[in-house]
Amino acid sequence: MRRRTISAIAVAATAFASYGAASASTPARIAGRGAAPVEVAGASGTAGGTRRPTRILSLSASATQMLYAIGAGGQVVGVDKYSTYPPNAPRTSFTGYESSAEDYLPLRPDLVILAFDTSHLVAQLHSLHIATLVLPPATTVAGADTQIRELGRATGHAAAAGTVVVSIHDDLAKVVRSVGTRAAGRTYYIELDPTYYSATSKTFIGSLFSRFGMVDVADAAGRASSGYPQLSAEYLVKSNPDYVFLADTVCCAQSARTFAARPGFAGLRAVHLDHVIPVNDSTASEWGPHSLETFAALIARAVERRGASGTK
Amino acid sequence: MSEGPRGAAGEMQPTRLHALHVVTGVAFLLAAGLGALLVGPAGIPPDQVLAQVASRIPFIPIHSHLSATADVVVWQLRMPRIVLGGIVGAMLALAGASYQGVFHNPLADPYLLGVASGAGLGATVAVVELPHLRGLGFDPLPLAAFVGAIVAVGATIALGRTRERARDATSLVLGGVAVGAFLAAAQTFLLQRDTPVLQEVYTWILGGLSTAGWSEVELVLPYVGVAATVLILCRRLLDVLSVGDDEAGSLGVHADRVRLAVVAAATLGTAAVVSVSGLIGFVGIIVPHTIRLVLGPSYQRILPLSVLFGAGFLIAADVLARTVLSPGEIPLGVVTAFLGAPFFLVVLRQSRRLAG
Repeated sequence: MRRRTISAIAVAATAFASYGAASASTPARIAGRGAAPVEVAGASGTAGGTRRPTRILSLSASATQMLYAIGAGGQVVGVDKYSTYPPNAPRTSFTGYESSAEDYLPLRPDLVILAFDTSHLVAQLHSLHIATLVLPPATTVAGADTQIRELGRATGHAAAAGTVVVSIHDDLAKVVRSVGTRAAGRTYYIELDPTYYSATSKTFIGSLFSRFGMVDVADAAGRASSGYPQLSAEYLVKSNPDYVFLADTVCCAQSARTFAARPGFAGLRAVHLDHVIPVNDSTASEWGPHSLETFAALIARAVERRGASGTK
Repeated sequence: MSEGPRGAAGEMQPTRLHALHVVTGVAFLLAAGLGALLVGPAGIPPDQVLAQVASRIPFIPIHSHLSATADVVVWQLRMPRIVLGGIVGAMLALAGASYQGVFHNPLADPYLLGVASGAGLGATVAVVELPHLRGLGFDPLPLAAFVGAIVAVGATIALGRTRERARDATSLVLGGVAVGAFLAAAQTFLLQRDTPVLQEVYTWILGGLSTAGWSEVELVLPYVGVAATVLILCRRLLDVLSVGDDEAGSLGVHADRVRLAVVAAATLGTAAVVSVSGLIGFVGIIVPHTIRLVLGPSYQRILPLSVLFGAGFLIAADVLARTVLSPGEIPLGVVTAFLGAPFFLVVLRQSRRLAG
């Protein structure tokens, strides 16, 4: 899968950043049948007392993960082409960037979930009397929690959503505890593309590393970049991170070998210690429960490798 | 003093390239290169950088004590970036000046005949359709961009053929507009189908030297060398063309042949450099026009000096791109536009004031 929302944010910084920045604190909106958009809590799902959606179309890979995690998978009639988890989700060719909501009508959805509303799909769906829920990229784990709970309310699985959130935090805490202090203070660089776009600790993915006490080398460049700065090769050589996570393995076929072959990188500590970790691009760019747990486990395994390699 | 094309007031303009012009251009280029060599997020003391460079010059008895890391920064990261920036800037400025000469169009730039849209489509095809090649250790993007640019201009030349004249300037420009629009539409279609590649494609379109290495220098140097040589050799013919195709014909110059040779050489060089740097705008307009405003319209001056000042301009712009938000970077194309447009306006106003 090559959905790389985080990377796209790096380029369309202003527009996407406004979405991302809002995600942790601003509730998503749902447009009910025949009504102006209202807050999700009072509009649908069991909490709001309106009709429970039975034909959900998810055009967000992260939302798809959340839907199945909270037990709403049976209500899902379609997911976008980038939703690869769970594997048995009814995938369609939709991207979420369609210009006309009419494309979705053959699936007869009663709730459409989007990550972005780039083509004014919400207004179109509203005029078609189809409820919508926009869940923009979360910038923190807490932001993802909020979205899971909102989805729970919107789909009639509020209690299960609460349980999932608690479970995610329990699992995350367990993984962090298993690593202990071994990762504390260790520096890392996460690569979103081969031109050195990266993510700071202020992003969703960066906040995961922070839980392990790791230090993001991109933070020094993050002040004017909405969390996704473009670094330079020279800065990477100077900062010499302990770990490198390559989140451009699918889009750009990068690997530990291609990374080490770049000018001046053969002597990097991470290369020398075999700490260049390939990551599926989508795992690093999605904020669903599966991606979160997968990435946390990946960090833990990377640190275990460090222990095995004999460094302090 | 030799005289050449007429200026705006009809007076004959000097054409000879003075040593002072060349010395100024070389000094600007060296100053930009030196600044780029000494500045960077690694924070290596300038005296150590200079000692390191001097230690590699034969017969200079200086020994450098730079660390291995600093040595890598100087010779594998900064130096190829400076050299590549110089090559790209020189080629874009030279191609822009040449296009302005053969099309009698002050707004002509290296992308006039579809190089940008062709290269952009090629890059998009490589990213969308050929990602598996990267796994085999071959990055198809530069080659695809190069081929796309060549094909686009080839199509423009073929479409620009008219009955009355083999390839007149207006027909070629209009052909370029049509081809550019068609290829841009094809690129948009591909991107629309595969939105996750938007970031990579647009990063390339914005232009930059962040991944510059000696291999990129080696890759483009032969093409740029051939193209630059042809264009420089055509500088006198461009002066003749400036009086008009018919008048040039009466002087024994085949305008359409010259135009074709210049377009072919400029396209070859431009396609080569954009394949490794992406689409860096403004250089091909700002640099030649600044020289023209200061030294007059003769291409015998503009073309050689475009090489020196184009190289220096892009190296200086790249210094800004990598230092303004250091250790972060700004896309180089953004810097050239942001820096170049106001600078050009200042030169334009100054020139008018002097003329008035």
